[in-house]
Amino acid sequence: MTIPTSSHSVSGNAKKSFWHILTSVRLAISLFILLAATSIIGTLIPQGESLHLYLEKYGPTMFQVIKVARLYDMYNSWWFIALLLLFAVNLVACTINRFPIISQLYKKDTSLQSVERLLKMPHLLVLSLSSIASFPEEDVKKILSTHVRSYDVENGRLFFNESGKWSYWGVYILHTSILIILAGALIGAIWGFKGQIMLAEGEKVSEAVERFTGKDFPLGFELYCEKFFVDFYDTGAPKEFRSDLVIFENGKEVLRKSIRVNEPLSYHGLTFYQSSYDAIPLITFTITSADGKKKVLNMPVSEKVSWQEAGLSLGVMQFLPNIHGNQAAHIWIGDDGFPPDAIWFLKGVEKEFRRGNNIYKASITNVEQHYMTGLQVKKDPGVWVVWLGCAGMLLGFGVVFWIAHRRIWLWVGERNGQPTLILAGRTNKNNMQFERVFDEMEQKIRTMTGVKI
Amino acid sequence: MIFTSSYLLSLTTFIYLGAAVLYLIAWVFRVDKVGILGTCATVIGFLAQTAGILLRWMESYQMGYGHAPLSNLYESLVFFSWMTILVYLFLEFRLKNRVIGVFSTPFASLAMAYASFSPNVNDEIQPLIPALKSNWLIAHVVTCFLGYSSFAIACGMGLMYLIKSKDYTTGLLSRLPSQKNLNELMHQTIFFGFLWLSVGIITGAVWANEAWGTYWSWDPKETWSLITWFVYAIALHARFVRGWMGKKIAYLSIIGFVSVIFTYFGVNFLLSGLHSYGAPR
Repeated sequence: MTIPTSSHSVSGNAKKSFWHILTSVRLAISLFILLAATSIIGTLIPQGESLHLYLEKYGPTMFQVIKVARLYDMYNSWWFIALLLLFAVNLVACTINRFPIISQLYKKDTSLQSVERLLKMPHLLVLSLSSIASFPEEDVKKILSTHVRSYDVENGRLFFNESGKWSYWGVYILHTSILIILAGALIGAIWGFKGQIMLAEGEKVSEAVERFTGKDFPLGFELYCEKFFVDFYDTGAPKEFRSDLVIFENGKEVLRKSIRVNEPLSYHGLTFYQSSYDAIPLITFTITSADGKKKVLNMPVSEKVSWQEAGLSLGVMQFLPNIHGNQAAHIWIGDDGFPPDAIWFLKGVEKEFRRGNNIYKASITNVEQHYMTGLQVKKDPGVWVVWLGCAGMLLGFGVVFWIAHRRIWLWVGERNGQPTLILAGRTNKNNMQFERVFDEMEQKIRTMTGVKI
Repeated sequence: MIFTSSYLLSLTTFIYLGAAVLYLIAWVFRVDKVGILGTCATVIGFLAQTAGILLRWMESYQMGYGHAPLSNLYESLVFFSWMTILVYLFLEFRLKNRVIGVFSTPFASLAMAYASFSPNVNDEIQPLIPALKSNWLIAHVVTCFLGYSSFAIACGMGLMYLIKSKDYTTGLLSRLPSQKNLNELMHQTIFFGFLWLSVGIITGAVWANEAWGTYWSWDPKETWSLITWFVYAIALHARFVRGWMGKKIAYLSIIGFVSVIFTYFGVNFLLSGLHSYGAPR
């Protein structure tokens, strides 16, 4: 288990010692410590913020360190990925290296043991019998199991039963499952896609925005948001976010589903998650000119709306949902040849304004909340591989934790001229459970042979 | 007023404290009868706590929220305490040794005291926010806390092991389980906790994938649970392959539990992330 440190190694030796390091548990434990220690950094330094924030917060010297070592996106940095890869390589190497050992352990036949060896077993019962015939072979089967091997040995007969020998492979299931999980993550990183969509009610999109590159990603179909709902408890805490989505393919409706947090929608390998929302007010603005002409305009925020007859354009620059209990909007007016102007309106309060010689009366007559739903879009072909690995891990744990290699020997023969029964047992784990099984056998034997303590 | 959940639950703080004192007296003065009283107290506390948790569950339905009481810091502390006692009672029943109680029941009592009496912990029943509305909530919390509780008890065993630096034949320390048994028990408890921590991380991953579309996002809570996982992985591998025993494992068991505590509280108090609903207030 120790790593050779000789300096006069020829290339073969170097290769050997390299392999030695790769397969050492020392490396595995070092990697555990390194991964754990470096992971802490990423929980202390906020991840994924824009770079100038780090400069402000940590100063120029630390900022250089953060920038060079990519501590702002640590878990995707080359060196962290390298550590993970080394971890995987170490795991593979250990697996290969230990294979012959486990294989030997599995193949090795330990059924034939001498009486001296039996007497040294951790679980042991030695009974003096009245005669050898008082413990016939059928009784052995009742105690050990019907799958018993038997041998004629020194002055007697030896019976052997074992179970759970295959559990030596449990560690392999466990370790392989970790490799499978890492492979799944890799598949996701290479062929997966993560993006975002902001979609207003009543709008359709056919593209998502890639999260890291900001590039458009074609969905291959159209996604329509029919309605977005947000609901609150009396306490003010959010109760439900819901988007009613419809998928159109070639102009035809193919799927309709309401999604919530924890209830995504999947279509053609893409999954849509409810992740955020934005409220956009739609303001109804009523204007009356001096000659009695009246116009009702529906104005979403940041969009210019025209009243062509009067040659006026209007737009909502800012909307405040609560100014002393009322809603207010800052409205831009222009495009009629006069210098543009911006006026604050309170909902339901009429105001006059003048453009050249024309005087208008105007008010906000209605405000409707329209919503934009924020969707997370994901394609991850590796996720099922990850789940497979997780299932394997659970199975591996089950085997490693609960299945033990249990061996029981029963020897009946003459020892120093005395008819004797020896029951010996050994288990590679869960000693206490085995002790109980062993005690039960002992009780059975005692009742069968009639030998009391 | 007895039959409200918060009354019952704050009562269990004192019952578990009493049990700890009884176990201690039984150990120090070698009176087995007091030890039996300690077990009785623990069982009564456990039943009262179970009733409290169930009542709280019912109360949440009466308030129109209707969810399992596993949704905020207060409820998680109560559940941690409950789970620790469950694991401990199982061990006491299996091992017929009450000394472990001296080192286990205080964890449960402390958690309850913190939950019931700290001004930082809000014990109101709150409605479930959308992110927590999932069937995975129960599976995730139960498995994680089985892990946490096992690690708490393994930490207690580690402390016992270090106190009992050699096998005494007489005196107070001779009544602790033998070093060989403690060694074995500590290992098994760590392995048991490791198994459940892994299941907890996996259920969390499945849930995160369903709610946010990523099974792993290096959120501080996730990362710290992984760090904890590594610490215990070190303990297990050091024993399996390099044959580490006794003191070294005892130290690792304590370090591991410090990491558990940080994953549980530190992340909520000091770092921000997806698990912020576990934070105080």
